[in-house]
Amino acid sequence: MSQRKQTSDWEAQSVPLIFGVLTTVAIVFLIAPTLIVLVTSFTDSQSLKFPPEGLSFRWYLALLDADQMQRAAWNSLVVAFWTTILSVVLGTAAAIAMARSRNSWIRVADALFMSPLVLPALAFGFAALIFVHQIGFRPNIPFLVLGHVIVCVPFVLRTTIAALSQLDSSLLDASYSLGASWWMTFHRVTLPLIGRGIGAGAFLAFMASFDNVPVSLFLADERTEVLPIHLWQQIETNLDVRTAAVSGLIIIITLILMIIAERLAGLTRQLR
Amino acid sequence: MHRGHQLRLEGITHRFGEFVAVQGIDLDIAGGEIIALLGPSGCGKSTILRIVSGFISQTQGRVMFDGEEVDHLPPNRRAVGIVFQNYALFPHMTVRQNVAFGLEAQKWQRDRIAPRVDEMLSLVHMREFAERMPRELSGGQQQRVALARCLAVDPKVLLLDEPFGALDKNLRLDMQIEVKRLQREYGITTILVTHDQEEALSMADRIAVMSRGCIEQVSSPTEIYDQPATLFVNQFVGTTNIIPGELIESDATACRVRLVTGETLEATSRPGLHAGAKVVVSIRPEHMRLQDEFVPNCMRGSVKAVLPLGPYVLYEIELGAGATIKVSAPRRAAGDSLRALGQMVHAAPAKVAACLVFPSQ
Ligand SMILES: Nc1ncnc2c1ncn2[C@@H]1O[C@H](COP(=O)(O)OP(=O)(O)OP(=O)(O)O)[C@@H](O)[C@H]1O
Ligand SMILES: [Mg+2]
Repeated sequence: MSQRKQTSDWEAQSVPLIFGVLTTVAIVFLIAPTLIVLVTSFTDSQSLKFPPEGLSFRWYLALLDADQMQRAAWNSLVVAFWTTILSVVLGTAAAIAMARSRNSWIRVADALFMSPLVLPALAFGFAALIFVHQIGFRPNIPFLVLGHVIVCVPFVLRTTIAALSQLDSSLLDASYSLGASWWMTFHRVTLPLIGRGIGAGAFLAFMASFDNVPVSLFLADERTEVLPIHLWQQIETNLDVRTAAVSGLIIIITLILMIIAERLAGLTRQLR
Repeated sequence: MHRGHQLRLEGITHRFGEFVAVQGIDLDIAGGEIIALLGPSGCGKSTILRIVSGFISQTQGRVMFDGEEVDHLPPNRRAVGIVFQNYALFPHMTVRQNVAFGLEAQKWQRDRIAPRVDEMLSLVHMREFAERMPRELSGGQQQRVALARCLAVDPKVLLLDEPFGALDKNLRLDMQIEVKRLQREYGITTILVTHDQEEALSMADRIAVMSRGCIEQVSSPTEIYDQPATLFVNQFVGTTNIIPGELIESDATACRVRLVTGETLEATSRPGLHAGAKVVVSIRPEHMRLQDEFVPNCMRGSVKAVLPLGPYVLYEIELGAGATIKVSAPRRAAGDSLRALGQMVHAAPAKVAACLVFPSQ
C-alpha cells in the first residue's frame, strides 16, 4: 500500500517536473536569441559582438538614411499588405464553402489548401518560378504576392474554419427564419462572430508574408528586393549592424501588435 | 387579434440517404391551434419542424399554409417563427438589436421598428433589459427575448423545439404558462416539440404521439391518456401495467381475458381482436384499488415494495407467473396506515373502461 502511494507521489511530482524543464528549455531557446539581437542592436560599436561594450541608438538613427533598406522594407510591407487582403478574402470564402459542404471532395480541397504548410516552401518557390517562365512572364510583384498568398492562405483558412466550427448553426437558422437573406445573415451574424478568427489568421498571414524568404527568393524580380532577403545579403557581405537594428525594430513592432491583438481579440485563444 | 393560419402536412416522408426519418405524416392543424409533437428521442420530431420551416425539403409530400403549397419557398420567405432549445439569440447583439433584427430583415421602416421592439419587449416583460447582452440574461429571460424576437415579425406559424428543455422545473412551469398566454393572445398556430409528456398534456390542444418516424395517434390530451390507440402511446404517455394474456370472449364493448396468472379480467374490447388472440392488458396504476378480500375481476398478489410518494403511495405487487404490477393509492388522511410488505392483497381495476387490451407483439 505504502509502496503504491510512493510511486504515485513520484509520478505526481515527476510529470510537472519534466514539463517544467521542457518548457524552460523551449522558452530559453525562443527568447534568448531574440533578446541577444535586441541588446546587440543597441551597441555603440561597429561590430555585432555580444555583449556590446557600450549602448546607443546610433544604428537605429542610421536606419533613417538607409535608403536601400527602407525601400526593401516598403516592398515587404506592400507585398504583405496585398497578400493579407487576398488571403483573407480567399481563405474566408474557402472556409465558409468548406464548412457548409458535407461533400467528400472537400477533404481533398482542404488537404490541397493546407499543403503549402507541409510542402517545402523552397520547392514551391522554385516550381512557381518555372511556372511563371513557362507561361511567358518574368517574376514581378503581382506574381510575388500570388506566391505569398498560396503559402499564407492556410493560416487564414485554419483560424476561420476553427471559428466557424464554434459558430452555432442555429444562429444562422434563426436569422433565416426571421426573414434575413443570405447576405444579411453573412454580414450581420456570421462575419461578426467569426471576425476574430479571421483577424487572427490575417495577423499570421501578414507576419508569414513579411518574413517569407523561400518564395520571395524565386519570385521577386531584380529591382524589388524584400526586407528579409536584403538583410541576409547585408549580413553576408559586410556584417552590417543596421540589420540588428532592423531586427530589433521588427521584434518591438511585432510585440506591440501582438499585445494590441491580444487586447482586442484574444489572439492566442483564436489560435488554439 | 388575427385568427391564425391553418397548416397542413400531407403525406410527408423524409429520407436521409437510406434512412427513413419520417414517414407518411398527415397532419391538419387549425388556425390558432397548439399541437404537441411528442415522442422519444430520434423519432423525427425536429425533422418535421425543419421541413415545415424549409431548412430541409422533404423527399415526398406537401406542406401547405392556408391551403397553399409552400414547398418552393426558402426558409427566409416562409414566415415561420422558431424558438430553439438553446434560444439562439445573437450573442453579439443587445436584446433590442436581437428583436429588431427580424424587422430590419423584413424592411420595416426605421421609425416603426423601435416602437415595435418596445411593444414586444413589454409583452414578455423584458422592457428594462433592452440594452443587455444575451449572456447577461438568465435562461428564462433569454427565452422571453427569443419569443419576442420571433413574434415581432408576426409569423404565420410558431415552432417551438423543446423550448423548455434547458430550464429548471419551476421556471419551466412559469414559461409554459407564459408561452401559452402569448400563443392564445396572438392566436398563432403553433407546433410544440417535446419529449416531456406532462408538457404536452398541459400545453397542447391536441397531441401527436410519434414513434420511429410515424404518427401513432393525434388526439386531445385526455383522449391520448384515456383511450390510447396503440400500446406504444399507452406506454409512452403516463405509466401503465402490462400483463400478458389470451382473449377468451369479446363482444362490441367488453371482453374477457385470461391472464398469465390464471385469473380472468374484464376489459374494454378492441375492434379486430377476437377470442383466442394473444393480447396484453394495460391498466394504469391509479386506476386500480387494493382490497383485502377477494372480489370478482381482480388479481391476487403480495406486496413487494411500498413507496410513500407524498399525496399517494405506490405499491409494487407481485402476482403469480412472475408478473408484477404497480398500484398507486391516494392517501386520504394523514396517518393512514400503509400496507405491510408481504401482505396478500387483491388488486381490482376501478372500472372496466380502465382495462385496455392490445394485440401482443
Ligand atoms: N442530417 C441527418 N443525416 C442523417 N440522419 C439524420 C439527420 N438528421 C437527423 N437524422 C436522423 O433522423 C432521425 C430523426 O431525427 P430528429 O432530429 O428529427 O429526431 P428528434 O425526434 O427531434 O429527436 P430528439 O428528441 O433527440 O431531438 C434520427 O434517427 C436522426 O439520427
Ligand atoms: Mg429534436
